[in-house]
Amino acid sequence: MSSDSLKYLEDISVIEGRPSLRSIDDVISKPLDTKPDKKYYIALAITLSMMGIGGIALIFSLYYGTGMWGNNNPVGWGLPIVNFVFWVGIGHAGTLISAILFLLRQKWRNGIARFAEGMTIFAVMTAGIFPAIHTGRPWLDGYLFPYPNQHGLWVNFNSPLLWDVFAVSTYFTVSFIFWYVGLIPDFAILRDRTKNKIKKTIYSITSLGWRGSNRHWQHYEMVYLVLAGFATPLVLSVHTIVSFDFAVSILPGWHTTIFPPYFVAGAVFSGFAMVQNVLIFIRKIFNFEHIITLDTLEKMNKVILLTGMLVGYAYGMEFFMAWYSGVQVEQFTFVNRAFGPYAWAYWIMVSCNVIFPQLFWFKKIRRTIPLMFVIGVFVNVGMWFERFVITVTSLSRDYLPSSWAYYTPTITDFAILIGSFGFFFTFLLLFTKTLPVVSMAEVKAVTYGAQPTHKDH
Amino acid sequence: MSEENKKYWKSLDGLNNSTDLPGKNHKEFPDSVTDGFNVESINGLSRRKFLGLLSVSTAIAATACSDYHDQKEIIPYTNRPEGVLPGKPNFYASTCNGCQEACGILIKTREGRPIKVDGNDEHPINKGKICATGQSSIYNLYDPSRLQNPLKGTSKTNWATADSEIIAKLDSVSKSGKKIVVLTNSINSPTERKMLDEFKQRFATAEVHAFDLFNNCNKKFGWFKSYGNAEIPSIKWDKANVILSLEGDFLGKEGNFIENTRLFSSKRDFSNVKNFNRLYVVEAGLSLTGSNSDYRMRLKPEAQYDFVMALLNEVIKKGASNIVVDSSVKNKLSKFSLDKIAKSNDLDSIKVNYLVEDLIKNKGKSIVYAGDSLSGDVQIAVNLLNEVLGNTDLYNYESAYVNTGKQLHFPQIEELIKSYNNGEVGAVIHYDVNPSFHLPKSLKYNEALKKVGFVISLVDSPNESTINDNFTLPINHNFESWGDAHSRKNVYSLRQPVIAPLFNTRQKEAILLTWILGSPKVYNESLYHDYLMESCRETIYSKKKLSVDFISFWNSALHDGFVNIESDGNSRKPFNISEIKIADSPKENSGFSILLAKDYFIGDGRFANNGWLQEIPHPISKVAWDNYAAIAPSSASEMNLKNGDIVNVTVGENSVKIPVLLQPGVAQNTLVIELGYGRTVISDVGKEVGKNANNLLNIKNLNSRWICSNASVEPTGENYKLVSTQEHHSLDEEFVKDLHLKRGIIREANLDEYAKNPKFANEEDIELVSITSEHGQVGTKWAMSIDMNKCTSCSVCVASCNVENNIPVVGKDQVAVGREMHWMRIDRYYSGSSEDPIVSNQPMLCQHCDNAPCENVCPVNATNHSPDGLNQMVYNRCVGTRYCGNNCPYKVRRFNFFNFRDHFEDGFYLNEVSPLVHNPEVTVRSRGVMEKCTFCVQKISEEREDAIREGRQIKGDNVVPACQQSCPADAIVFGDANDPESKISQYRKHELGYGVLQTLNVKPNVTYLAKLRNTHSEDI
Repeated sequence: MSSDSLKYLEDISVIEGRPSLRSIDDVISKPLDTKPDKKYYIALAITLSMMGIGGIALIFSLYYGTGMWGNNNPVGWGLPIVNFVFWVGIGHAGTLISAILFLLRQKWRNGIARFAEGMTIFAVMTAGIFPAIHTGRPWLDGYLFPYPNQHGLWVNFNSPLLWDVFAVSTYFTVSFIFWYVGLIPDFAILRDRTKNKIKKTIYSITSLGWRGSNRHWQHYEMVYLVLAGFATPLVLSVHTIVSFDFAVSILPGWHTTIFPPYFVAGAVFSGFAMVQNVLIFIRKIFNFEHIITLDTLEKMNKVILLTGMLVGYAYGMEFFMAWYSGVQVEQFTFVNRAFGPYAWAYWIMVSCNVIFPQLFWFKKIRRTIPLMFVIGVFVNVGMWFERFVITVTSLSRDYLPSSWAYYTPTITDFAILIGSFGFFFTFLLLFTKTLPVVSMAEVKAVTYGAQPTHKDH
Repeated sequence: MSEENKKYWKSLDGLNNSTDLPGKNHKEFPDSVTDGFNVESINGLSRRKFLGLLSVSTAIAATACSDYHDQKEIIPYTNRPEGVLPGKPNFYASTCNGCQEACGILIKTREGRPIKVDGNDEHPINKGKICATGQSSIYNLYDPSRLQNPLKGTSKTNWATADSEIIAKLDSVSKSGKKIVVLTNSINSPTERKMLDEFKQRFATAEVHAFDLFNNCNKKFGWFKSYGNAEIPSIKWDKANVILSLEGDFLGKEGNFIENTRLFSSKRDFSNVKNFNRLYVVEAGLSLTGSNSDYRMRLKPEAQYDFVMALLNEVIKKGASNIVVDSSVKNKLSKFSLDKIAKSNDLDSIKVNYLVEDLIKNKGKSIVYAGDSLSGDVQIAVNLLNEVLGNTDLYNYESAYVNTGKQLHFPQIEELIKSYNNGEVGAVIHYDVNPSFHLPKSLKYNEALKKVGFVISLVDSPNESTINDNFTLPINHNFESWGDAHSRKNVYSLRQPVIAPLFNTRQKEAILLTWILGSPKVYNESLYHDYLMESCRETIYSKKKLSVDFISFWNSALHDGFVNIESDGNSRKPFNISEIKIADSPKENSGFSILLAKDYFIGDGRFANNGWLQEIPHPISKVAWDNYAAIAPSSASEMNLKNGDIVNVTVGENSVKIPVLLQPGVAQNTLVIELGYGRTVISDVGKEVGKNANNLLNIKNLNSRWICSNASVEPTGENYKLVSTQEHHSLDEEFVKDLHLKRGIIREANLDEYAKNPKFANEEDIELVSITSEHGQVGTKWAMSIDMNKCTSCSVCVASCNVENNIPVVGKDQVAVGREMHWMRIDRYYSGSSEDPIVSNQPMLCQHCDNAPCENVCPVNATNHSPDGLNQMVYNRCVGTRYCGNNCPYKVRRFNFFNFRDHFEDGFYLNEVSPLVHNPEVTVRSRGVMEKCTFCVQKISEEREDAIREGRQIKGDNVVPACQQSCPADAIVFGDANDPESKISQYRKHELGYGVLQTLNVKPNVTYLAKLRNTHSEDI
């Protein structure tokens, strides 16, 4: 065998240095073994307060009614739906990283897959709150599920909102199972390491009797592969169906065939930006710099650059199609987006999503942590505004000029948005202290010496 | 076996022994089961007795503790009252008293409770239609803020005490020689006037004065001077080919505008386009009439005089006069050159030439109408103009307005106030009036009132004038009262109560009658009823010379609600040309002019507490819950004013702070302010809504108190939020300009274009193909058509829909964020320039689309299609995703963002009386559900029930939704589109018919008939 044909094996090490297998376990499970420090409690206090603000706003909304928000008669959907789409979008990176990149044999994913998946779960949980609370009578949300009842009533399978219910719940279920299956070997490691009786019991249960035998690994790898194959179409389908909420309607600016790919690209875009943002902190705080390497971050930035351009292309194509279709109302809607009363939101969106990510063409910027962080934040701001622009501008000025109205979100709206961030980050913080945020088993697979090589022998 | 002999059996035993029917020997339980179950017969405290007592005492305790008010039990009639069938409405004819017009009404009651009021179909004046105020006045009956008991000072008292104290006091005042002043509105009831005369006889020093904030005194003055008789004829609008209205909103608020609208619209019949009338309007503010005009010119109110003089000059100069005009008059008139006046007032010379041409060409078939606010001199000049043009045949003297007597003018009011201050007045009786609110503050009426020893107010609820009261006496609502009215010469109308007084109130006539009779004991419920009958017998029955006895006559008159009477001739003289005053030269008008106008809905302020009326958007500006100073955009930009900027308007010594609204179509340097707002002593709904601009009433101008010249307008730098149901766009913004025309929402043409291209309304609509098979609809298919040629945007349909369908009032804060709940709205679009706009109106309601986009997006099937073509809404199933509302291209769906019944902090709809106004046939919607127009499905169901009971097919024309029922112009047609004979199917097929947003292929079932404007082709 020539050394050239084995060259890929040399590059396989995605983690820096040559940490021993034991030291990998030690580093990764350290946050679980140590008591939380003061900084952790401060962070938790902040996220819990944010959650509390959202909770209070939510109680007011449920007690008094949807009128606490800024929604009005042309603009039936406001911030709750914007937030929903935003959080579902954030939830895209995790499964994409863990499933699609797994199938594509992108080994650099191993260091970040667990964490990204965790974020997916929490983001979808956060997103799931919004459809439930945004209805006028949330106590009747059960009507949205097709259950047999004595009224003989059935849901309307024509409605994209119903597809949403299935798409999001399926996505959540599969993501969760995929995540859990990935955790099994790590649970076993933790079980074997711990001396605490309670922890041991819990890990014994959650590790499902994992002994790391060859057969276990064989089955495990197969299940993981199958689940990855199963999750992959869901990554694409869930945001496609979310985009149907808009695309299936007849509203100018919503009724567009480009929406499914455009939404998926946007979701990956924002998801990667969020994962990148959070990982920057995680690798620093938990000393994972050698596991979640700068190379990995750079690769993520490349994905952000690519998807950002896809999104930019979609923005341009929407305008082109509006012009090309010759439909006057459609043309008006897009000109109105860029130059109408919500032009400010539109230009925030364009600059954050299309202009700033172009800086990632420069390798220096791709590898400079503070700059990439700032751009990542911009991307998420921009993507939130994208959903705002789509939802609100089309509704506020549609067919009959007589019913046009400007939509202004209320304090309650923003409080719920803050609360959603609080909810998400609280779960994230709890996650970092209760579960290994990096997959010990998978990282070992990409560490030096984990793959057959003749080099040192 | 015949039906009668059929035998029912439960068991074979029963069948064989068919005499074993439940009889005296029958026992429900076999023997011995219930033996001994007599609690008394059990000795001591047995287990049974203990349990029996325990359960009874628990039940009693539970019952005693429960809140009866929450029970809301439905109790059936034990003895059904005669004529009341549960579930079936009863209708009673009566007479409205919302204004002076005395329209005939038909009150719908359910189980004895009035729930809807409509016009009386047989009434010769209003013919089944009433205005928005009349429609909504039912709410005032159930207004919880009505005064419920007589007050002495501020404490509750009873009627007997009040009566005896008042009688004693009035007697002593009368004896002391001090005056007793009775202030009233002008009174259109002959019996009431008779009663007031008797009051004056009973109390020697009593004086009765009438005062209205708005009246037609200038017009009466003009007619008196012109013809020696102050009875103003009504106008045969349906005979006029050309109408020139000078500052006259005859379609919106002047005269009987309901009748006017009907007659006017009858000349806008699309099936007879040759017969179309042409309406010219010359006015300062953009009124409802102006918005319906073919040609409109903007003119400051003071310049109307010069304009009429110039028109007279021009018509006479062209030798077109029908009467002989002295050369001296001609000479004087010759100073008024139409060209010059048109130029100095910026009038479009082309339009002016058309006007003169049309007036001369249609001599004898045109009418010039001067608004009530114009001075007597203008009225005389307009009368002369009509004489000159030979238009007098269009005056309907048969149905002339009955002169309701003298009104107080400001000099007399000042005198009256002086007499209050001098101590000449011993007692003041406010007979259902509110002078403290209506009179300018500078007159200091309330201060003067304090000097009067004894003040009594007869009111429905406390107001600004009751503050100094010794006694405040609550009066009945119209629906609780007897009465009559004679406002037009050929009709005598009767009013009957349809419900017993809800509170401890009496009708105002009976209160005075009790005092006249001098003893609290004489009062009984039929006191005024008897008096009215007697008066009717004397004045009406005796003149009729009928063969039937009076009681039969009376009963049939009550049943009909009115009696046709012979007009007793008109003693008018030939036109007296010497009365016309011709100025030496046209006046220069510089500085700001103020025109004070009546509000379209809340009248002079008496309906300010009616939320339904406050929330109906202004027909032109679409502003709700406020008044404002309408100003031309160009004048505003000169002063750097934006919408809502507060200005300080000063006229003489009086000033008012009021926000401005940039209203396209207002004359330069003119403010138009509607009065009736800014009530301070009133219940929560109307309190401090809008600004009180009564202060600006021109007490110095004896010609017209509603017009002020040389006002100063100063921006204050403050801003106020005016809310409207439609955004105010700049008309000059190219981006949003004329979108309603570009999108085919409004389709209109003038008559010539229509003649050239009869299919203009829908030629651009292409037949859309569908990839799915269409739902063929057999049987009934409900549809509506709205004739835009007839619709004037009067908003009566909105009011009627509100009452019929229990539409909640949401309040200003919710209108501000776009959450008004009206199922029926009138969209208003401007085209043309921002100074001289062309207005297009469009009633918009659920279109009940065949391919309704709302239906397929509802995840729970809460909105779906009925077999008879209705897009229906299942409130129980609705979870409130609002997706349907988003996907509705017409945005007619309305979401209950709050529980609007409980939204006001006072739990407005939750108190005892307010919910009684609800129509029991229509669900009261809860928070979080979507709602919208149902095509009055309750009325469709009623027809279906009738059809089933009568064993016939459903007849579409039998169903009349609330909007159609109330439309004074008959612009709305509803029925079964699949019935080839129905009117609706003719309308749907008509070449002028089009669907709004047809290109979306939603297949709306509301067809609009394109508006035809009677303008000259050259201007287009």
